[in-house]
Amino acid sequence: MAPVYKVSYVVAGEEHPGAILNADQPPRVGDQVTLGNRRFVVLEVVDLLPARGEFRFLHATLRPAAST
Amino acid sequence: MDLVPLLQKVELFDGLTPHELQEVAALCAEQVYHPGDTVTRQGEPGSEMYVICEGWVEVIPGMPPGSGTPRAVVNLGRGQLIGEMTLVDYGPRSASVRALSEPTIVQAIDRERFTELCEQDYHLGYLVMRNMAADLSFKLRHRNLTGR
Repeated sequence: MAPVYKVSYVVAGEEHPGAILNADQPPRVGDQVTLGNRRFVVLEVVDLLPARGEFRFLHATLRPAAST
Repeated sequence: MDLVPLLQKVELFDGLTPHELQEVAALCAEQVYHPGDTVTRQGEPGSEMYVICEGWVEVIPGMPPGSGTPRAVVNLGRGQLIGEMTLVDYGPRSASVRALSEPTIVQAIDRERFTELCEQDYHLGYLVMRNMAADLSFKLRHRNLTGR
């Protein structure tokens, strides 16, 4: 099975609750991601926990795409 | 619909054999929600947990009276669990969960039947409980990071 990336997303600079999602690909700095109906830009990605089985655990910081 | 490929990508079922995944799949019932629909309501008794297959939900915990408008503490997407605490503590729903996207599709798993399966198959039961603890830990870490 291909790795599953469980990602904790936090939005910087606004009162957004953030999100948790399983993704097929890891987020990368500069990527645009859609959470709900809004788009964001990835500012930072770090490993949150050691991998277990096929699961990778990441934390990504975002900013709203509209502010580019 | 073969649910095994979907369940394989859910952390709760990490490590289960194909046969065990089939047993879990047999307990699943698909439910479809639309934006604004309530999946669970805070304070109500819960007898099911849910795996999000498609779409997004927002989790809104209950607040003491007079403490302002309740706000979402996290949005959850594909592969995440809703209502899993009831599997562990049999308590009422700790939060309300509302669908955000069109459609939001979940697989509902009955607590009693799932508990029976865990008790019949200790390998499955051990892995599910370990993975559930890991999932709750991940949610706590996320919550801590949103406050930094």
